[in-house]
Amino acid sequence: MNGRNETEADAGRAIGRVIVIGGGIGGIQCALDLADTGFYVYLLDKTHTLGGTMARLDKTFPTNDCSTCMFSPKLVQAAGNPNIEIIPSSRLLNLTGEPGRFTARVEKKPRYINVEKCIACGQCAEKCPEKVPDAFNGELGFRKAAFLTFPQAVPLKYALDPEHCLYLTRKRCGLCQKICPTGAVEFDQQPEMVDLEAGAVVLATGFEPALTVRDGEYGYGRYRNVVTSLQYERMLSATGPYAGHLQRPSDGRVPKKVAWIQCVLSRDAARNRPFCSSVCCMHAAKQAVLTRSHDPEAQTVIYFMDIRAHGKGFDDYIERARHDHGVRYQRSMISQVYLNPENENLIIETYDHHLNSKVEQEYDLVVLSSGFKPSSGSSALVKRLGLTTNPFGFLTADFDEPVSTSRAGIFVCGGIEAPKDIPETVIQAGAAAAEAAVVIQAGRYSATFATEAIPERVVEGPPRIGVFVCHCGSNIAGVVDIPQLMQRVERLPNVALATDFMFTCSAETQPRLIELMQKYELNRVVVAACSPKTHEPLFQDTLRKAGLNPYLFEMANIRNQCSWIHSHQPQQATEKSFQLIRAGVSRALRLEPLTNQTYRVDPRALVIGGGLAGMSAALTLADQGFSVCLVEIDTHLGGFARHLTETLEGDSPQKLVRILGDRVRRHPLISVFLESCLTAHQGHQGNFRGTVETKDGGNHQITYGAVIVATGGRAYEPREYLYAEDRRVLSQIELSRRLKEEPKWARGLKRVAMIQCVGSRNEEFSFCSRVCCSAAVKNSIAIKEINPDVQIVILYRDLRTFGFKELYYLKARQMGVMFFRFIPGDQPQVYNDTDEKLIVDFTDRSSHQAFRVESDLVVLSSGMRPHTGADQIAPVLKLPRTQEGFFLEAHVKLQPLEFASPGIFLAGLAHSPRFIPESLAMAKGAAQQAAKILCKEIMSTPATVAVVDPDLCAACLACVRSCPYAAPFITSEGVSEIPPAKCRGCGICVVECPARAITLKHCTDEQIEAEIDALLE
Amino acid sequence: METTAKDRTEIESRKVSSGKRRLIGDRGSHFLKRMEGETGANIAACYQCERCTNACPVSFYMDVKPHQVIRFVQLGWREELLRSATIWVCLSCEMCTTYCPNEVAVAETILHLRSLAAQSTIAPREKQLAVFHQTFLDELQRFGRVNEAWLMAALNLKPGILKEKMRSGQLKTEIELGLTLWRKGKLKLLPKRCEAIKEIRDLYRNRQGDRS
Amino acid sequence: MKLAFYPGCSLEGMANDYARSILAVFNHLDITLVEIDDWSCCGATAAHSLSEKMAVVLPARNLAAAEIMGLDIVSPCANCFNRLLFSKAMIQKKIFDVPWTVTGSIQVHDMTRFLARPDMVERIEARVRKPLKGLKVVCYYGCQMVRPPRLTGFTDYENPMTLDRLATAAGAKVLDWSYKTTCCGASIGIGRRDIQESLTARLLEKARQTGAEAVVVSCPLCQVNLDLMQRDKASGHLPVFYFTELLRLAFEAENGSAEWFRMHIADPVPLLRAKDLLL
Repeated sequence: MNGRNETEADAGRAIGRVIVIGGGIGGIQCALDLADTGFYVYLLDKTHTLGGTMARLDKTFPTNDCSTCMFSPKLVQAAGNPNIEIIPSSRLLNLTGEPGRFTARVEKKPRYINVEKCIACGQCAEKCPEKVPDAFNGELGFRKAAFLTFPQAVPLKYALDPEHCLYLTRKRCGLCQKICPTGAVEFDQQPEMVDLEAGAVVLATGFEPALTVRDGEYGYGRYRNVVTSLQYERMLSATGPYAGHLQRPSDGRVPKKVAWIQCVLSRDAARNRPFCSSVCCMHAAKQAVLTRSHDPEAQTVIYFMDIRAHGKGFDDYIERARHDHGVRYQRSMISQVYLNPENENLIIETYDHHLNSKVEQEYDLVVLSSGFKPSSGSSALVKRLGLTTNPFGFLTADFDEPVSTSRAGIFVCGGIEAPKDIPETVIQAGAAAAEAAVVIQAGRYSATFATEAIPERVVEGPPRIGVFVCHCGSNIAGVVDIPQLMQRVERLPNVALATDFMFTCSAETQPRLIELMQKYELNRVVVAACSPKTHEPLFQDTLRKAGLNPYLFEMANIRNQCSWIHSHQPQQATEKSFQLIRAGVSRALRLEPLTNQTYRVDPRALVIGGGLAGMSAALTLADQGFSVCLVEIDTHLGGFARHLTETLEGDSPQKLVRILGDRVRRHPLISVFLESCLTAHQGHQGNFRGTVETKDGGNHQITYGAVIVATGGRAYEPREYLYAEDRRVLSQIELSRRLKEEPKWARGLKRVAMIQCVGSRNEEFSFCSRVCCSAAVKNSIAIKEINPDVQIVILYRDLRTFGFKELYYLKARQMGVMFFRFIPGDQPQVYNDTDEKLIVDFTDRSSHQAFRVESDLVVLSSGMRPHTGADQIAPVLKLPRTQEGFFLEAHVKLQPLEFASPGIFLAGLAHSPRFIPESLAMAKGAAQQAAKILCKEIMSTPATVAVVDPDLCAACLACVRSCPYAAPFITSEGVSEIPPAKCRGCGICVVECPARAITLKHCTDEQIEAEIDALLE
Repeated sequence: METTAKDRTEIESRKVSSGKRRLIGDRGSHFLKRMEGETGANIAACYQCERCTNACPVSFYMDVKPHQVIRFVQLGWREELLRSATIWVCLSCEMCTTYCPNEVAVAETILHLRSLAAQSTIAPREKQLAVFHQTFLDELQRFGRVNEAWLMAALNLKPGILKEKMRSGQLKTEIELGLTLWRKGKLKLLPKRCEAIKEIRDLYRNRQGDRS
Repeated sequence: MKLAFYPGCSLEGMANDYARSILAVFNHLDITLVEIDDWSCCGATAAHSLSEKMAVVLPARNLAAAEIMGLDIVSPCANCFNRLLFSKAMIQKKIFDVPWTVTGSIQVHDMTRFLARPDMVERIEARVRKPLKGLKVVCYYGCQMVRPPRLTGFTDYENPMTLDRLATAAGAKVLDWSYKTTCCGASIGIGRRDIQESLTARLLEKARQTGAEAVVVSCPLCQVNLDLMQRDKASGHLPVFYFTELLRLAFEAENGSAEWFRMHIADPVPLLRAKDLLL
């Protein structure tokens, strides 16, 4: 390790360190976002490991990606980052000082195993006689009192459970201490107090299922085959109690009929949980889909009230679950689950409207979609910190400060703020990092360690290849015969070492790999595991640390391309694995070391779009000391929010527009271009050049290191329901403006009908617009407050007032607003009858009764659309979009803020329909991602670029024409040249070149041919 | 705004096809407010999840299901409710109220509708049940306590009851049941009395003071 | 220890066996039950159905009498218990005036919950002379005792345990089942016997499926309902015991005579003989 970059800050200057509490995905992402922008992070977790809720998930919606496979690289990054100090088993007791200079008293609980000495051999757990219900697996299986929470735990060190260890409870046994080969067991460890200095604190303590055995809902804890959704995740998981083979707890039988009950301890005012937990609708759909993929014969039924698929692409997922996977949805809430004593099946009684009778359905397994509450211990922590929570213990943030708490310098992200899914957590994590960075920006680089430059070994002599084969839990090892495979791999030519690991990617495997590379003097490495797309950078970094050039590395994907798709043919899968590895080894023989090129970074940012998201992103960066160029297509700053009068919670978007607009205009580091757009853009991350064209035709050349796209949204202009034909038909936005300007007008209303999903969730536009249900609820309350006698009827498909917005839905109902569900396809009809009455006819979905409202006013909840500015900018920046026109992020789960093209980031309505605080969080989060580039002086380009052999080049221009990035050009010598900084390594020119003059480094013909030959041998 | 002839035909045809289409929003919220006031039940809060109807052991026998009762109250459909079998068939087992996530006192609402029906001129859909409740109170007024044998006898003496029971064959079953109970010593022929029966009768006299 | 006893009308009629076994059990436990002097009917479902005011004032007379006695009320009948609590709550909320003084100074106990308190269970266990070994029962609570929970105070309204604990204390083997609080339909037995019988028959079927040899109840209406349902069954019937009958049997090993059970329709004597629990 090198020393600190600078000496400790002068007195009075902000401390460049942050305490992040909670090691789930939120805490880890926040820590990474801070550590990569020049700050030092203490990452605290109350348990023995990082991981949180995400570590317990099997797969994630809407892509069905393996949660561990996505999350593991994050864990590894956090573990390997020299500027993140992980402090497990700890809690913050007291915080004194002020923003910029806090002192935290932290208690480290004893682990009873010395982490310096523990080599995670697992002998203690193997020999430990005390079995304990395994909380990580939802108590469906057992672990020992000496245990490792899960195989990818960080740190990968065992621990003793003081409540169950025989020695710690009764001074008996002590077997682990006797057998530990390194003497790591220390029964006499005591709690330890440390004082940490930090400039800011982020709370990311997360949530947990609200349902406990004590609640007794639906026989949970009473009937063995009733489980919570989180338990079911473990049941599905390869690392779970049943090793990924779905079975039910009572008798190990494969469940053939599984039911999900939604809204358990959610939307339940009677049990003092009147809010919606936001994520359960989607995870139930996912679990049902996965159940069907485990067993295509299985029947899956989801009992629900409203399907809350309010996220990007979520409705498509639900449609696929229904139609492609045969998941049955039944809108009916269950009161009680009964047991069939003969087989421990569960009986659910519902009333069937079509049959007019009670129907008893028997299920093998019932999964309760339990709502969420703040994770245990967080209420005490919140109290110690003196923070204000909402009535349910969540640290809900304010409208204009989406990640702030009631105490300056303490920020919040993730499930403790409100129940939310992974991408929203990642977004908030970025925002919290950004807010913390603003507070302590003067301390940037004052407390960090630079990455250690490790001298590279010179590769000489015959190739010595190391092959590391991954079990991926049971993902690979459950199908492929690993011992047999290893025997054959060992015998391949030039293989100096072949060995296998449970999880080759886990943080604790990496030092072991380094050790083996050095011990066996390996000069090529092949990892046979999963996809290089996700894991190559991780292993390349390990090679770097071992002093090997990272390009001397090759992966064989024996999971995605083998064990997963051939899961029913183990013998053939083993054979194919061997062939894939043989091909990898053959290619590895021909690999050569390559060197990255470096360049200086332009520390300025370009923000496209001057709405709330754009302004907020610009301010976040400017407040961290970066210059920003803000380009707005319109005559004013403010965007869509300029049209919005008031939010459901009573905040004023227009006031926020004024405040942010004033700050943007006055900020010395922000230059604003109104009525302008970016018309040209070239370069690469850290080093872009572009042209801003103003209305008067002026062209401004600008340079920048990063781009944030915040082109915003607009309202859908309805073509249906007599809109713009009858003046009694309004949009929600028009209605709220009218109510604001002329409240008395509402007193004359007798009957109002509102129609939801106008221009949303249909064939033309499949997204849910997320905000319209809340808009209808807000306006109906506003009308009722002025005129309590008015009859308001809201026609909806699914009422999606998720999270704490549900409280307003309840309020609207209590005020007498009536909600009816209509059937998509049997749309309400709006027409004028002969007496010029405005009539709304519809069929109530639950009673199948046809109703009519003679309405004074019909209000359309018209959806959201991306702003037309997106059409202009998409080709300039070459950005992908969804069918609906929203921009497509790099990864829907873990990279919601960035595009696949490095250096370009995404915020606000340009991403998807969202609420203002969500847009603001996204803007701050995107700014923080941009800061990761802007704060660096020097960056490097990858070495996998195309190079032209000038002797073979005929200057035919094939490469110039075919390159999508406009990289090649013809030099004064009359031959083609490709600047490495612009080349993206796609290889198109290599294929196009008729003279075969172009070679793609790291993908040479020789290497590829050797690989193919070996594969077909 | 102009309406073309074609539009008019379409509108007319819609009116015909909608035959049983019911107008809503035309009754105001007076009935809802009255019911909420009189029962303290949180009726407006209902979100029609149907937990009550799924929980109800007798929803099969109800013409208006429990969740619809709540909806009808919201819509002001008083008469439909008072004419329903539902309000008499309800067991007051409180499953609906217990499981309601919105703290709607469904059972109490139904019970209150039952008492409104008893006070109204609307003939009860389940006559025997209605007469039974009244007979019970009559017996109570007579002795201060209720004797099962006397209660049954008094019920059968109410106009039309015996005839109806004979017609349906119910009487035969009842006699059979009575004999079984008698043989087992479960029927006591002598009613016990409450000494201070006057106090009870005074209560009946003051019944007009019902909360309204 | 002294308690005010409110037997309710059923205990003077059909549930006379319940009344007698209660007195025997409390005698064993050295708890004095003082019958409320000149008590009157609680109004049951009828008063509740036709007049909310009567549903409050009728029980209030008995509440007032117990307050004068200064004793907590113990109620053996689920319906009476429910009505007394309802009346007390409405008076305390000042929703109705009553012509008697009811301050709310005394508690109304459901008898099973009172006896299932840990100290009482201990006392019961100490009195058991002949545990009811091998008798497999399900406990049936019905609806009025536990619901609505906000009134009755039962937080485990879906899976109450008071009867389970008492039957266990008597030495019986108590089986868990899902239908502890599913309504038996007693309140419309007169008028719509068809509905009531379908509900009751289902309960008996579920109890048999669970493997029970007998049902333990505490509500007179439930008992009569479940018992009467079995009047035609020549064999395979399921005796329906008041929990106090089982306690008495376990307390009085030598007096466990067949004579006691003659009021039952589903005759429990063969079962108890087979289990060697009766002389």
